Amino acid sequence: MKKTKISSILTPPILTVLAVLFVIPILLVFINSFKSKFYIIGTPFELPDKETFVGLSNYIKGLSTSGFFEAFLRSVFITVGSVILIVICTSMTAWYITRVKTVFTKMLYYLFVFSMVVPFQMVMYTMTFTVTSLNLDNPVGIIFVYLGFGAGLSVFMLSGFVKSVPNEIEEAAMIDGCTPLQTFFRVVFPILKPTAITVAILNAMWIWNDYLLPYLILGTGQKTVPVAIQISMQGAYGSVDWGGFMAMLVLAIIPIIVFYLSSQKYIIKGVVAGAVKG
Amino acid sequence: MATITFKNVVKTYEDGVTVIPDLNLEIKDKEFIILVGPSGCGKSTTLRMIAGLEEVSKGELYIGDRLVNKVAPKDRDIAMVFQSYALYPHMTVYKNMAFGLTLRKVPKKVIDEKVRAAAKILDIEKYLNRKPKALSGGQRQRVALGRAMVRDPAVFLLDEPLSNLDAKLRTEMRSQITKLHQRLQTTFVYVTHDQTEAMTMADRIVVMKDGIINQVDTPQELYNHPCNVFVAGFIGSPQMNFLEGRLKKDEKGYFVKIGYSIIRLPERMKPSAYEEERVILGIRPEDLNLDKNNGDSIEVKVELAEMMGSEIYVYSTFEGKKIIARIDSSEKIENGENIRLTLDTQKLHIFNAQTEELICD
Repeated sequence: MKKTKISSILTPPILTVLAVLFVIPILLVFINSFKSKFYIIGTPFELPDKETFVGLSNYIKGLSTSGFFEAFLRSVFITVGSVILIVICTSMTAWYITRVKTVFTKMLYYLFVFSMVVPFQMVMYTMTFTVTSLNLDNPVGIIFVYLGFGAGLSVFMLSGFVKSVPNEIEEAAMIDGCTPLQTFFRVVFPILKPTAITVAILNAMWIWNDYLLPYLILGTGQKTVPVAIQISMQGAYGSVDWGGFMAMLVLAIIPIIVFYLSSQKYIIKGVVAGAVKG
Repeated sequence: MATITFKNVVKTYEDGVTVIPDLNLEIKDKEFIILVGPSGCGKSTTLRMIAGLEEVSKGELYIGDRLVNKVAPKDRDIAMVFQSYALYPHMTVYKNMAFGLTLRKVPKKVIDEKVRAAAKILDIEKYLNRKPKALSGGQRQRVALGRAMVRDPAVFLLDEPLSNLDAKLRTEMRSQITKLHQRLQTTFVYVTHDQTEAMTMADRIVVMKDGIINQVDTPQELYNHPCNVFVAGFIGSPQMNFLEGRLKKDEKGYFVKIGYSIIRLPERMKPSAYEEERVILGIRPEDLNLDKNNGDSIEVKVELAEMMGSEIYVYSTFEGKKIIARIDSSEKIENGENIRLTLDTQKLHIFNAQTEELICD
């Protein structure tokens, strides 16, 4: 009883401090995107005033020089494509390795789990070389690379949930007349939906925000949003247009925040479902 | 409408465990047959083999005249009701019931008619638009029955469908399923470990133990003429009393000596081949009565008298063995007292103590 009481008193202030810590950088980016670039480095914490406020000019300048729209469309294509591929492939994989118990599927499962603990930096050079030699260094090819990097966590989460789906439901579907594919798409997949949505959101967030992989594979020729912002706002001799940089950051953050806010209830639902039933 | 025939069916799992060593059984058309036995006796496996959810390792399984060993579940013309109901959680009751027909590309109008007709019979019309999680256990069970009904299958398979329901609902659903069988006129194969369900619903009961069929008979026959100690003990509640003793004979006829007491067999019983051998004497609790005339009776010490309302279950000891009697509730019986019980010897069963098979009854 006493323990609960102390934790219930301490939790709100701790969480508040944490929330503020996480929001401050985003807030700073937002505030500084309206300031003239000369004031951003000197007084980053001050709100814009008459002297420093430049209206939307940072945004206009940023958009005109960075090729933002093109990069935006490319990012959307890569993110949506990767997420769809990841969700479909990993949910089928999770279903298979959970239901078919052989040494092979067991090994496969541990392989997926293991892939989660390997840091990206460890494989990035060999991976880039492989991808290039396979001619996958284009926006379509990178989707398959993301499938590989997203599969570990996704299979892990989904197979935890598949275990909680009673086998009898699938047997009922078989008796009702389903082929294995129908059983998956008409019965199993709809039941997996909450977890599949969670998997989709988690993957969408990191793929949208990912800088290193597209930079390595696509280079500066086919820029995604993070790459475009970084490259184009960097002038000669290491000078950076901080105003345009901040404005583009705001634009890059907005879609993923909207996406997160609109789907956050599924994240909680999916994570909880996995925790309780898995 | 179909018969189901097992010919020397063997079921061995991948790990080498044989759950059904050799099964021969013929289920008649339109029959309500109940497979009953303790957990792990292979009754569910037998049912799942009919459904096609378990492969037949050896032997032949026929539905009607068709050999179905290699036929997929969906092509066997069967429907199954599971213990956990196995409803599709993401579909409404209506869609759950219609799903099988939709897959078979039955016209929408026909599906609608069938679903509504089944819903009416099962009294679930009000819930057609609800999802399973918004239903109670009994309602879910009826949806599961409805899902099987709309398919008009040749064989209805039910795997312990009532075991997740409370006692009152179970009694109610029991009569509903019996009525359903009469209405549908289809072969029903029902698995349960509850002998009451088996006794009240079945046309014939199959009593199984360790994958082997012990006896197949009507409830009445099983109750009155069990073929061995296991069947005798499994059917009937409270279970039959078993008293082991030695079979002897004197000038008045055969008797069984149990400890210092003797129980005389009726004249018609002449198990001469077992004279001086050890036998098990079986008698049902209702065939024991309070002795009021000081006649031929046994003395027992009452350990516990359980008042059930219409009768009293008297748990007592006789020659160091437990014995249960069902006595009229108007009698007064105190715990710890000694009472005398008469045995209705016409209803005695004598089993071989070694093989536990019936000698005579």
